[in-house]
Amino acid sequence: MSITFSCDDKDTLISYLYGEIDAPVRKAVEDHLAQCAACAAEVMALGGVRSELGLWTPPEVELDFQIVKKSAAPAATVLRPARWWSTVPVWAQAAAAVLVVAAGLSIANLQIKSGPEGLTVSTGWMVQTAAPVAAVSPSSDEAWKTALVSLEQQLRTEIRAAREDQPRTASSTAVDDATMRRVQQLIGEAEQRHERALAARFVEYASDMDMQRRADLQMISRGMTNYQSEVLRQRQMLNNVIRVSGTPQQ
Amino acid sequence: MAGDVDSFNQLVLRWERPIYALAYRVIGRDEDARDVAQETFLRAFRALPGFKGQAKFSSWLYRIALNLCRDWIRRKKRTPVVEMPEGVDVVELASEQGPAESIEDLVARNEMSRIVAEGMKLLPDEQRTAIVLKEYHGLTFQEIADLQGCPLSTVKTRLYQGLSVLRKHLESQGMTSYREQ
Repeated sequence: MSITFSCDDKDTLISYLYGEIDAPVRKAVEDHLAQCAACAAEVMALGGVRSELGLWTPPEVELDFQIVKKSAAPAATVLRPARWWSTVPVWAQAAAAVLVVAAGLSIANLQIKSGPEGLTVSTGWMVQTAAPVAAVSPSSDEAWKTALVSLEQQLRTEIRAAREDQPRTASSTAVDDATMRRVQQLIGEAEQRHERALAARFVEYASDMDMQRRADLQMISRGMTNYQSEVLRQRQMLNNVIRVSGTPQQ
Repeated sequence: MAGDVDSFNQLVLRWERPIYALAYRVIGRDEDARDVAQETFLRAFRALPGFKGQAKFSSWLYRIALNLCRDWIRRKKRTPVVEMPEGVDVVELASEQGPAESIEDLVARNEMSRIVAEGMKLLPDEQRTAIVLKEYHGLTFQEIADLQGCPLSTVKTRLYQGLSVLRKHLESQGMTSYREQ
């Protein structure tokens, strides 16, 4: 069975061009090219293109790629104590949040009133005590009275309980009194020491002042003596001059 | 692990220039070709445990590189740009080439290289890739078919059509002095 090649068989032509072709097929192509000038010219032209392709070279660049191994040390692990709330169930956290809000509202004494002046929102104990009594309606007056009676009873109960607790705190009060006495004693002693030191300083200062005063008096006395002697000497000299000049003495 | 890195670096040293050349000829930009080549080796190293040796290592590398080139072309949404290497001094190159090649020959060769590169730019991606793999990397038709995921006959058709377009382009540029094989 002979193998033939036709001009339209471009796949076989490419195989022949690149040399990836079996020997019998190569022989058939060569036989065809010997007879077909067009196919022979095409093969020559495509071979020339392949030669020209060899002129296209990539730039000579330094690549030097390398796989660099990262440090094998594991990432630092910081151990922290577990947050206490992270161990509490969600429902418990929600319940605690509700309690906190309720406690805050009770501390703030939040009051919402609806009256002739409209809706009134007030917070704080001072607002309650400063509210004018006249503005309270009779129905709320009864409620206030009830509340005041309740408060009075609560205060009496607390005062009674405080009185009952007083003997139990007597020992601690005695200790406090002894401490206070000791402190007062120490303060008194310190004050006495300061007074004695101050008196000694004052005596010493007075002595110094007296000595200085005596020294000053002696110096003044000597000065006066010298002055009187000088005045007497000048007077005698003046008398002598008058006596010699015969001028009557004034 | 250190041994794997060292061994793989030996493979990188062996294949970095072919992979770079492939990327350069497919996408036509030096810097981008370097990035593609570098990413090729990084991906290959990461995927190394999954490489069971069912294919040649080179074919496996080419597949990764070609996929990256294809992604680059899609991302840029433009045809590859062929650029001349920056900083090429013709006179300096002439002195390095020795006395066999004159400056005139070198200039002519660079000009022909530029014309060829422009012709390659005219080709569709599949034809250009097939020609690059066949002409510059010596892959068989079957290997190219496997890389491009197409039948063997399609590879031959792409090669024939690509070479024919290049032939017309070169003839239009006055490059008709083809040498016989």
